[in-house]
Amino acid sequence: MKWFLLLPIVASAQVTNQQLLNASKAPENWLMYSGDYRSMRHSGLTEITPANAGKLTLQWAYQAKIVEKFETTPVVVDGVMYITLPPSDVVALDAATGVRLWEYKRRMPPKAQVCCGQVNRGVAVHGERVFIATVDAHMVALDRKTGRVLWDTEMTDYKPGYSGTHAPLMVKDKVIAGVAGGEYGIRGFIDAYDVATGVRKWRFYTVPGPGEFGHDTWAGDSWKTGGAPLWITGSYDPELNLTYWGTGNPGPDWNGDVRKGDNLFSCSVVALDADTGERKWHFQFTPHDEHDWDATQIMTLLDRPIRGRDRKVLVTANRNGFYYVLDRATGEFLHGKAYVKQTWAEGLDDRGRPIRRPGKLPTAEGNHVYPQVAGGTNWNSPSYSPVTDLFYVPVREGGSLYYKGAADYKPGRRFQGGFFNNEQVAHDWYGAVRALDPSTGEMKWEHRLQVPPWAGVLSTAGGVVFAGTDDGYFKALDASTGRDLWNVNLGGRVIASPMSFAAGGAQRVAIAAGSGLFVFGLR
Amino acid sequence: MRLLFALLATGVYAQTRESNPYSLKDAAALAHGKQLYSYYCVFCHGMDGVSGRGAQLASTYRKHGSSDREMYRTIADGVPGTEMSGHWIDEDEIWKIVLFVRQFEAGAAAKRCAAPGDAARGESIFNGKGGCRNCHSKTSRLGPDLAGIGASRSIEHLRESIVEPDKAISRAYRVARLKTVNGESVRGILLNQDEYTVHVLDAAERIRSFRRTQLAELALPKESPMPSYAKTLQASEIDDVLAFLCAGGSR
Repeated sequence: MKWFLLLPIVASAQVTNQQLLNASKAPENWLMYSGDYRSMRHSGLTEITPANAGKLTLQWAYQAKIVEKFETTPVVVDGVMYITLPPSDVVALDAATGVRLWEYKRRMPPKAQVCCGQVNRGVAVHGERVFIATVDAHMVALDRKTGRVLWDTEMTDYKPGYSGTHAPLMVKDKVIAGVAGGEYGIRGFIDAYDVATGVRKWRFYTVPGPGEFGHDTWAGDSWKTGGAPLWITGSYDPELNLTYWGTGNPGPDWNGDVRKGDNLFSCSVVALDADTGERKWHFQFTPHDEHDWDATQIMTLLDRPIRGRDRKVLVTANRNGFYYVLDRATGEFLHGKAYVKQTWAEGLDDRGRPIRRPGKLPTAEGNHVYPQVAGGTNWNSPSYSPVTDLFYVPVREGGSLYYKGAADYKPGRRFQGGFFNNEQVAHDWYGAVRALDPSTGEMKWEHRLQVPPWAGVLSTAGGVVFAGTDDGYFKALDASTGRDLWNVNLGGRVIASPMSFAAGGAQRVAIAAGSGLFVFGLR
Repeated sequence: MRLLFALLATGVYAQTRESNPYSLKDAAALAHGKQLYSYYCVFCHGMDGVSGRGAQLASTYRKHGSSDREMYRTIADGVPGTEMSGHWIDEDEIWKIVLFVRQFEAGAAAKRCAAPGDAARGESIFNGKGGCRNCHSKTSRLGPDLAGIGASRSIEHLRESIVEPDKAISRAYRVARLKTVNGESVRGILLNQDEYTVHVLDAAERIRSFRRTQLAELALPKESPMPSYAKTLQASEIDDVLAFLCAGGSR
């Protein structure tokens, strides 16, 4: 019967925990924001190779009616693609043709505030549900078949400056996400909600309250407006049952006088028990940050020998300019190395703590420090390829002028304590995609870009790395050498990370650029 | 946070009022406005509203309007085709900047530059021997139109632009020198360069489009497309041209 054949497009089977655990083994799908629980941002598909990438052509495009930045990474389940549009809409598309199946439009209250745009980066899927964390700080579950709202839970009152912008992380029976708002003096947290009911199961405050571990790293009442927001999706190790989250800047950003101390757990990675939210360990990349160097980068989980011993590690290229290798069972610092020009630290000590140079903090007149305020890299994705055993990072070279100013907290207002200027010091800025040795952080190759990119990278088992540029190009590089294989100008800035899936057995690569989503393939 | 896209987001914060909610008597607002001005404005306009390479703000005349509403628009949306970009700042912060700029006006009146030369002689040099009009007119894209320039730039700035044009080069008029793989040499104004392409406006105002793979050499020297007139014009002739510009400039 004909309708029966069409059914898989409209009503695909449940997404099971088993599928999520084995996401990388089914590369025709892309089941979560970073592809798999290890957040490798790697596709196992092999059809596109350095030999044929030059023949990539547009298969379809989806034009969104938006003016805000388009930061989504699509999720694909059995022929259906789920994307988010700013501020907090969800659209389901036929992954083979781009034809729209349904749309969830969320009306946004006028004062929902986000520092850098009312953006959203993607969904999570589980069972028959799709989840989005919204700019007005709700977690919403939709029916995957229809887009109908199943439940809608307020995470917190958005008005003081809380928002949801990142794709949730789905673990077992809980959907997990944190709140953004690091420029509004929020107190950051990470929440887990029951997938069936939307009832909150646990909350972890990224700024500890009285009596909690780390509370004494905040002077006086500064913890109440300490920031440490969440705006990029965490990773998960099922054997350790730990989720890993990179946290954002302490508030106010550029004036630390009112928050003396290390300011835990800002600019850190926290390892939280997936069932209880209990903190197992933390590692702070930038204690008492005063440069706005959020640690909201994707935490990549690898297993590899480090100095002769097999380790379960977590690797990350941090916004502060250093690449880190941590033991992800214990949080032990194993290795660190600068991967971009930085002028603020002599290096890292034995425990990974930066050895600060004097005179590198923001000043009233402006202080020229490297890396730039947006960091050596930012939220846009890195990628790890098990084929080449390289870690790929989109990097931003150059410094900023950092200014220290007054910091008065008023609910719902920006709480920044200063500012920055890039224009006046942009003469030596450039971008690159760099391939690092994952164990040492040593650079193996570099592909230079004119402008520091806001696009992430994707590696594929066919030996290709996909990257995007701020001047609108989407390009394919040889994963072994960084050689330019193919490019196309999409006519709008690429402020998103690419992903790959298969439709009808053919490999596809998708990227958002400008206000469009573009899907490429060989056939 | 990710980054405040100071250059992006034209009109993200919609203007909701016609006039400034803050008054010059509000010392706190003025102090905050001064701080914001020091972040966003000082590099081009100077802390005194005079000394930068941007338009003089210590004046009651502003080319793009001096009403509260017009100044708000100029800050929020920028001025297309110039180096003045839009700013993605909260509405009340824009109003505080407007307030700080407003306090420059005390005693400034409609300031116009004054030069010792003869404006009529200056006009004939501008149109004739100096060749200025070839690039500075309403129709040329090789240089900015100088109509009304005397009201928005200081005499020192204008003199420097004539005598030492390489000293401060507007980003809208950067020079590109390139040589193609076929041996053609082009000097022009850099319109755009991205990952794979370069566009220049050549001396005949043709837009030339190149793929980087077509280029054997590409240099972006720190030179203005405008020649120095320190040797080709007498000091008195430069004064005449300056007098012409101060009096209104090219019509």
